Amino acid sequence: MSHVIETKNLCRSFGKGEILVKALDNANLTIDKGEFTAIIGPSGSGKSTLLQLIGGLDEPTSGEVFLDNKNISLMSGAELSDFRRDHIGFIFQAYNLIPVLSAEENIEYIMLLQKVPVEERSKRVKEILQAVGLQGKEGRRPAQLSGGQQQRVAVARAMVSKPSLILADEPTANLDSHTGAALLDMMKELNEKHNMTFVFSTHDPMIMQRAKRIIKLHDGRIVDDERRSA
Amino acid sequence: MHLNFSLAQRNIFRNTRRTALTICLIASGLAALLFTDAFIRGMSVSMIKTSTETFLGDAQIHHQGFREANDIDVYLKKNLQLYKQLENIEQIKNYAPRVMAGAMLSSSENVTSVIVYGVDAQKESQVSQLKQAMIKGSYLADKKAEIIIGDDLADLLEVDLGDRLVITVSQAQGGDLSQELFRVSGIYHFADRFMNKGLAVINLMQGQKLLNINGVHEIALRFNHVQQASDFSLKLWADLNNTELETLSWRQLVPQLSSMLDMSQYSTLIVSIIMSVLVALGLINSMFMSIYERHYEFGILLAVGTRPRQLFWLILLEGFYIGLLSVVAGVLFGGLISYWKSVTGIDYSGTEFSGISMSDPIYLIIDILEFVKISGFILMITVLSCVYPAFHAARLLPSIAMRKAL
Repeated sequence: MSHVIETKNLCRSFGKGEILVKALDNANLTIDKGEFTAIIGPSGSGKSTLLQLIGGLDEPTSGEVFLDNKNISLMSGAELSDFRRDHIGFIFQAYNLIPVLSAEENIEYIMLLQKVPVEERSKRVKEILQAVGLQGKEGRRPAQLSGGQQQRVAVARAMVSKPSLILADEPTANLDSHTGAALLDMMKELNEKHNMTFVFSTHDPMIMQRAKRIIKLHDGRIVDDERRSA
Repeated sequence: MHLNFSLAQRNIFRNTRRTALTICLIASGLAALLFTDAFIRGMSVSMIKTSTETFLGDAQIHHQGFREANDIDVYLKKNLQLYKQLENIEQIKNYAPRVMAGAMLSSSENVTSVIVYGVDAQKESQVSQLKQAMIKGSYLADKKAEIIIGDDLADLLEVDLGDRLVITVSQAQGGDLSQELFRVSGIYHFADRFMNKGLAVINLMQGQKLLNINGVHEIALRFNHVQQASDFSLKLWADLNNTELETLSWRQLVPQLSSMLDMSQYSTLIVSIIMSVLVALGLINSMFMSIYERHYEFGILLAVGTRPRQLFWLILLEGFYIGLLSVVAGVLFGGLISYWKSVTGIDYSGTEFSGISMSDPIYLIIDILEFVKISGFILMITVLSCVYPAFHAARLLPSIAMRKAL
């Protein structure tokens, strides 16, 4: 079976000499298509670092990351940008929308980069807005939306280009429990319906409850990898 | 691409106050540059006009060696033949023959040294402003013993209209002293102190008789266009410069003015450089402030698949829009002030520039092509100033950018 994600001896350090901090230490990991995985661990355990390295947002100190069997360390800046654009959807903790663009334009942005024809773009934007329950709010700018609505737009933006992998860094951290649960249910449904791969970094028990696999990190090392039956 | 334009337009108005201040800075710089350009253009024309129209002429013909030796014996003998030649040169509008010599001028009260000019009254009025400068009495009318002098000279010699003056000169061909009595027929005033105090003007024939010569020392020329005086490719310069004749344009006759005008071109360049540096630094500062504030956002844009090159162009586009707005504001502001001063002028009466006393206000001259060039230059500087901030933004690593958010 081909892995969507594979990391080999992945290390990431910050600082030098005596103040050298190993954020990630020799992480070996494979994630398959359709997984709904949560990476958990205390603050500073390396969850976000691992997610950023998987998404090609950061460069490893050593080791390799393979996405869809492609070594992203060997990609040029533009190739990596295109790969992220076409294969990965990102959802961040908060404030991750472009403030000067409306909800619709934020969602449309990636498709514009992909040069998707205008008719196709507006069709997909309509569908995704409906899926995340934001019909009628497409013209609003992020500042005119609540935290939950902003995060829904972020989810819609991450999914609209139909990526094979969605990386979500603490997506419910700034949401109340009701909104967070609704958002997670929506993502779970997308995972099940479209076999999309989701990888979360979180301490949120709601995500842990829904996850099919939980990878536990401690001091930059993977200390546990638990798979759950559906 | 459309979204990039839209993003850039919206981004520049995210911090309206900062953008407005940046636009004000660039627009003020541009307006100052446009004003300086129009002012220097106006000043140059005014100085050339003051210098050539007062008495000098656009060019002068002398006998070879006259200017070096300042010897009254060196004069143009075949003047009638020369007049015919001048009348056949299409670029020459008018000419005025003159004789000249250093002389003692005495009144009943005082005595002083002057340069006496003998001029053809009618021809002189077509070349210099002697006739227009009369403030008392009348201009020369080819009458015997009439003399016109400047008001300062009249004060010095304590004379007025109708008073007697005696000119004593050393004659040509032997150097015998010659004296003749004149009566003040008119008093003139120029902005130039030397003209008012050091010059006395009599009729040409009387001057020739007084100096015992049958030719002229100088022929002042007025061209159809003053620019022709600087166009040395014209045939007339070759025709009027030979073993006997020396013809010089005002640029050669008043080299200090010519140098000053050449220098003034550099002053526009220097002002442009200073302004450009200020504009560039102001904009770089403003763009960096804007970029640092948006680090997190750039991280997001890069994370979702925006290529670094696209981010680079986005910042340049923002700079272009700021530049465009600044140029519009600067051209409006600078253009309006320059236009206003091109109509009302700036009064520099009595002020001396490079030995030229300004008599009239300086009227600014707007050169549209130059305005377009300067505006284009400032727009280019604005965009170029954004290259460094844009390069910085494009090189950001998404994870670092998202961590560095302010």
